[in-house]
Amino acid sequence: MKNLVYTALLSSILMCSSCNDVEVPATMAMDISLEHKLDGQTLELNGKSFTLPSGEDFTPKKFKYYISNVVLTNTQTGEMYEEMDSYHLISEDGNKSIDLGMIPSANYNQLTFSIGVDEVANGKTDQTGDLDPNSDMAWNWNTGYKFLVLEGEFTNKNTTERQGLILHIGTNPNFQTITQPLTGVRAGKAISLILAADLDELFKDPNTLQLSDLESTTIMFGEMAAKVAENYSEGFITVK
Amino acid sequence: MRFQFPAWLGLVCVCGIVSCGNTEENPIDGPTQISLEAPDYFPGNIAMPADNPLTEEGVQLGRMLFYEKKLSSDGTVSCGSCHQQQKAFSDGNQFSFGVNDSIGDMNAMSLSNLHWQNKFFWNGRAATLEIQAVQPIEDPREMNLPIEEAVNRLQADGQYPILFKSAFGTEEITPELIGKALAQFERTLVSANSKFDAWIRNEVELTPEEKLGLELFFTHPDPKLQLRGGNCSDCHLGFLTAGDPNGIAGFHNNGLDSEENLASGLMEVTSNAFDKGKFKAPSLRNIALTAPYMHDGRFETLEEVLDHYNDHIQNSGTLDVLILEASNELPNGSEAVKLHLSEEEKKAIIAFLHTLTDQQFITNSKFSNPFN
Repeated sequence: MKNLVYTALLSSILMCSSCNDVEVPATMAMDISLEHKLDGQTLELNGKSFTLPSGEDFTPKKFKYYISNVVLTNTQTGEMYEEMDSYHLISEDGNKSIDLGMIPSANYNQLTFSIGVDEVANGKTDQTGDLDPNSDMAWNWNTGYKFLVLEGEFTNKNTTERQGLILHIGTNPNFQTITQPLTGVRAGKAISLILAADLDELFKDPNTLQLSDLESTTIMFGEMAAKVAENYSEGFITVK
Repeated sequence: MRFQFPAWLGLVCVCGIVSCGNTEENPIDGPTQISLEAPDYFPGNIAMPADNPLTEEGVQLGRMLFYEKKLSSDGTVSCGSCHQQQKAFSDGNQFSFGVNDSIGDMNAMSLSNLHWQNKFFWNGRAATLEIQAVQPIEDPREMNLPIEEAVNRLQADGQYPILFKSAFGTEEITPELIGKALAQFERTLVSANSKFDAWIRNEVELTPEEKLGLELFFTHPDPKLQLRGGNCSDCHLGFLTAGDPNGIAGFHNNGLDSEENLASGLMEVTSNAFDKGKFKAPSLRNIALTAPYMHDGRFETLEEVLDHYNDHIQNSGTLDVLILEASNELPNGSEAVKLHLSEEEKKAIIAFLHTLTDQQFITNSKFSNPFN
């Protein structure tokens, strides 16, 4: 729908302006795909064990997060494209791509996006699409959305018992915006960007998580959640 | 409120008014496509299967087949025998009886809001409703009729070939078409008129006890922050209070049995040891009407169910981590997995569960036995 709106908008702009640069099409196709890695390996759910930066083993079961408010900029010319209704639920066992469709042509050299859901969208749960509260990303009718969910199990080093890790990070202070430089985007040329999400970064830089020593491995609100959000604010998702 | 393709629906309405019956896309003698009526707060992103659109004729045929006892070997049992409308399409028994009083080993599931689910049966062995719908016909413990024989019986009937013709354009009955018709009828079993629905629509207030129960139902506890929760919605998601429809995410080991007694469950289907003891998280819509509970019907009351989750979780290698880690109290050194809800909180959750009962659903004449 929004692509249609943009196409219509752009067509009207085209018709109104004299096309002085006929060689570059007014729009270009762009999509973004996400790759999930842990300990240098491709993420797999439901059975495969990985090693965390702490040296602890970890078997992931669920991994989901929101990417929102996608913006492309040419920092030299000031050209900018902001995706409308830009909320994308990315999950390891579901959707791992963002199709921006046809966007205005420009030599974009910067990508900006956020992890989580902005304060406005986070304040209501009567939404559809990727913000449909029927997915397990809505906490309830008061608390808004989980921005990032990682669930799995590990062996506690102290007790040698199987233990669960529940990372449910949300709340407005943990909404993080990330800016990444882009190379190779040429006006008028279709392009597929790849973003690499490195799950190790959830457990380190700057806050190292030693799961076996945590008071509780249910991390949803409060200080620990803020530490994880600080971890994902830098280095977690990078342009490949 | 309509569920899908509102623009397309609008077109159909216009067509109806000006009677433009000669459009190419809607042949005059084809079945009449209908849309599934559901509230706008149900997920809107689940498409109807392209090869089995919902039609008036298909639903009508499916309803007859659902209640058709000819589909059992001795003519005594229909789908409706174990899926009774007044019990929200369950049967009140721990295990269901098939022909010749043979008995199964699973509790008959309640049927509602099936369009928003996938992977049917407790172990998820049927990928679609169409595939699921015909399996009980052949199961020796259920209707015990070879599917070819079922086809022959319907084909020899005076009425059914005509009904298949109007629903699917052919009088030649096949197992696939039987499954499609049954699935169409089952998709129309939408339950969305409970007190919970009225509350969602701002039409009623919940009692303070029901409200507390709702809050607990939808909260994963965090004792560090004194956030109390019943942990229910970790598996029974959203307004549907049903399992996650994505992949196998809706299957869980909910701590019914210890390692040595753990049933196979989902592992029978995936062959993954990580899936041992996992069963489908059912919708909790009309749960007060669908006792007994669990895949093997081991609990007779909701009180027993709450006691299980609160105090009697059996640990095992595949116990869901959301249960393993859920507690309303900080770890005290004990290895037992306990939720630590108070009696009052358990009662509140049960009070909330009663708000999921939908009287209109269990009395809707569109879902009843057409042969009565």
